[in-house]
Amino acid sequence: MTILADAPAAVTPAVTAASRLRQVARERPGEAALRVKNRGVWREISWAEYWDQVEAFGHALLAMGVRPRDRIAIHSENRPEWLVTDVGTIAVRAVCMGLYPTNPTAEVRYLLQNSGSRLLVVEDQEQADKVLDIPAGELPALERIVYIEQRGVDRYTDPRLVSWDDFIAEGGAHRRAHPGAVEERMAAATPDDLAYLIYTSGTTGPPKGSMLTVGNCDFAGSMLASADGLINPPPGPRDFVLSYLPLCHVYEKAIAVWLPLWTGAVVNFGESLETLMTDIREIQPTVFQGVPRIWERIHAGIQVKLASASRLKKLNAGIWLLVARWLGKTLARTGGRHTPLSGVAYWFGNLFLYRALKERVGLRRCRFGVSAAAPIAPEILQYFMSLGVPIHEAYGMTENAAIATTNRPGRVRLGTVGEPYPQIEVRIDEVTGEILTRHPGSFVGYWEMPEATARTLDEEGWLHTGDVGEWVDGTHIRIVDRIKDIIITSGGKNISPSEIENSLKTSPFVKEAIVIGDRRKYLAALIGIEFEVVSEWAQRHKLAHTTYRDLSEKPEVVKLIQRVVDETNAKFASVEQIKKFTLIPKELDHETGELTATQKVKRSEIEKRFGDLIEAMYR
Amino acid sequence: MRALRLHEVLPAGGESGRVILEVEDVHLSFAGVKAVDGVSFRVHTNELFAIIGPNGAGKTSIFNCISGVYRPQQGSIRFQGRDLLGVRPDRIAGLGIARTFQNIELFPQMTVLDNLMLGRHQHLNYGTLAAIARVGKASREEARNREVVEGIVEFLGLQPVRKSYVSMLPYGLQKRVELGRALAMAPQLLMLDEPVAGMNLEETEDMARFIHDIRWELGIGIILVEHEMRMVMDLADTVFALDFGRPIAVGTPSEIQNNPDVIRAYLGEEHGTAPAGGGAA
Repeated sequence: MTILADAPAAVTPAVTAASRLRQVARERPGEAALRVKNRGVWREISWAEYWDQVEAFGHALLAMGVRPRDRIAIHSENRPEWLVTDVGTIAVRAVCMGLYPTNPTAEVRYLLQNSGSRLLVVEDQEQADKVLDIPAGELPALERIVYIEQRGVDRYTDPRLVSWDDFIAEGGAHRRAHPGAVEERMAAATPDDLAYLIYTSGTTGPPKGSMLTVGNCDFAGSMLASADGLINPPPGPRDFVLSYLPLCHVYEKAIAVWLPLWTGAVVNFGESLETLMTDIREIQPTVFQGVPRIWERIHAGIQVKLASASRLKKLNAGIWLLVARWLGKTLARTGGRHTPLSGVAYWFGNLFLYRALKERVGLRRCRFGVSAAAPIAPEILQYFMSLGVPIHEAYGMTENAAIATTNRPGRVRLGTVGEPYPQIEVRIDEVTGEILTRHPGSFVGYWEMPEATARTLDEEGWLHTGDVGEWVDGTHIRIVDRIKDIIITSGGKNISPSEIENSLKTSPFVKEAIVIGDRRKYLAALIGIEFEVVSEWAQRHKLAHTTYRDLSEKPEVVKLIQRVVDETNAKFASVEQIKKFTLIPKELDHETGELTATQKVKRSEIEKRFGDLIEAMYR
Repeated sequence: MRALRLHEVLPAGGESGRVILEVEDVHLSFAGVKAVDGVSFRVHTNELFAIIGPNGAGKTSIFNCISGVYRPQQGSIRFQGRDLLGVRPDRIAGLGIARTFQNIELFPQMTVLDNLMLGRHQHLNYGTLAAIARVGKASREEARNREVVEGIVEFLGLQPVRKSYVSMLPYGLQKRVELGRALAMAPQLLMLDEPVAGMNLEETEDMARFIHDIRWELGIGIILVEHEMRMVMDLADTVFALDFGRPIAVGTPSEIQNNPDVIRAYLGEEHGTAPAGGGAA
């Protein structure tokens, strides 16, 4: 590892998130940097105010003696204070570590202990309670807990507690006493400074803290901002981003922290996760980053709206959706470029239907959609493409600062994660089929886990992604699966479960699908229904029901899902077909350990928990 | 940009421990049946005063006497030194007493926001003409009231349902909206009639937290009628136990839990562990 905490100051200081912010704040001090919906009204924070807060936060850290490479943690939903903590920490060359809002106490303990964080910012009483439940003696490094929302926490007496307002005021006092101290620290920044510990959610084993440096972030930020990078034309101050995915995840970090700081785009914060669909509609973001789950939800939302429309509207929609289907096929063939005929058809379709639909779901201004973090069904991409919402499936991971491959406008190939970014190296291992990447964004290792680091980052600098992939036409990459998830049936056939699962999940009725069959005679599946959609379906069919479990157990619902399974089976070869399936009697959850913080199914946990259901399918 | 606390939105209760409600020897009977039989108590600012008792003990009748729905045959009720007997219910509400009901009393065909705005009704001080023209004082006050209501929406986490019709909301949320409407009236005395009846555990915990926070942030007087014993014992400063309209004990939660008369009348043999959700013995 080559981390030089005490490296001599470089002649030109490294470009960091903080120096980028200071730069934009000088260029456009009064323009909106952040917008936040607060008590029903959108309020703006200018670039100058944003920088002022970051500098004050940095001063407050200096006041408590934070040194380069010290760890500062934050446990909050997305909000401006998250970004202030993030950038303010980097300003003083310390390391920011984010926790998922859903992390329960046991995981909070592990993450704070493992990182040795000196300060933790908590959003509110709920998150404060989690850390205060841990005996102080078990967190020897933790000196202070800064709470943003005062409600409930202000009656606690733990001496480590300080309110956000008071903490920022401490920073203000330090700034008056030592003007320029934060800027001095910034001037000493080097590309090898650690910027983040990003813990990977760990579908197996405890979470590992990926160390990303200032140089990694600068590389990723520049890639996102460049014309031949992710978005074309490149993003700028007129772009609107909505921050709603967990900010401790590298995907959201890239789109909602680095991209805006490196391009001047505006970040919006909605009211809450429950109001997400309303927030999108009000913001109409121009760049929208989704995970498959979100795109599926928007897709399902359109279906539900159409189903409840009046007869005339249904007729209109029926016609134009038929056209859309043809448009989708055409665009899938051309990589997203309209032919003269499809262009005309789209123009009319947009006039009569698509524009209204897009307006309703908040994607009317969306010029660039991204889907990443998990594989998405090509049908969904094709659907949105036909409506004029181009979604580009991209691929990257924490360990390479989210930079690997992406589909480019006009060169989209559905079912692939696109082409490697320019100036980076990507190859596929001839023997294992594993995707390897090499570029300046590659992380420098896992925090205090040299063996795991050595397994992931080899001597030549290649990052082993753990994903099996294959080239399509020599330009695009298709992800087959995680190496460890590949199913080998007792007949010896290699099967990628996620392809089948994703096909099942294209149905609006299906929320989760877990295909099973490793070392077994045939494939089976556990399927979780999408409660809202199935419930709505049940109501239309006059099927009385109460809970999730009750609904899942209805023979009519089983029949409904059987049709979905049949449709998927028709797309696959006989050995890849699902012979039996069972509906899961409960909704999967992070807190109960069935999902990771990023809502990925923990396969091993599911197989353990629903072992009897699985065994019953092989009897 | 943190959430506002209630005292930044609504008037607080002022100096703690001041008497705001005095109930003196109140008697109420219907056709000879005694519903309330010689009840006296005092409620202070920054006090959570719980009234417990078996079904039919007269708890809701006391609420109805205070809010002017019933007029007791005997006794006096004074709020902030002012006699309430004979005062019309809407005037009493205007004096600063707000309440919620056992059976939710909201306008089901109106949105959450509109129901809360109605709670501000008595705080609107402009004429019909100004209201029609939507100018000057009317629009200023409308905006001010909207701010108060938004503060309450934020407090109760009602953002996702702000524009939903109340009739479409699940029961637990309707109860929450009703609490919001009572808060919107900016009360000095808040009366809650079985706020968690029929709620599941999570909803009950949320409601308990709201009540706790109202009391902490506003310091107003709160009277709580509730069957959920664990919540009463957790939240209340003073507990007042009734049986057949007659007071049997008053004291702190621990005193009440150990009072033999209360145990006999209400709590049953396993005191303090009465079943949740209103199924009192």
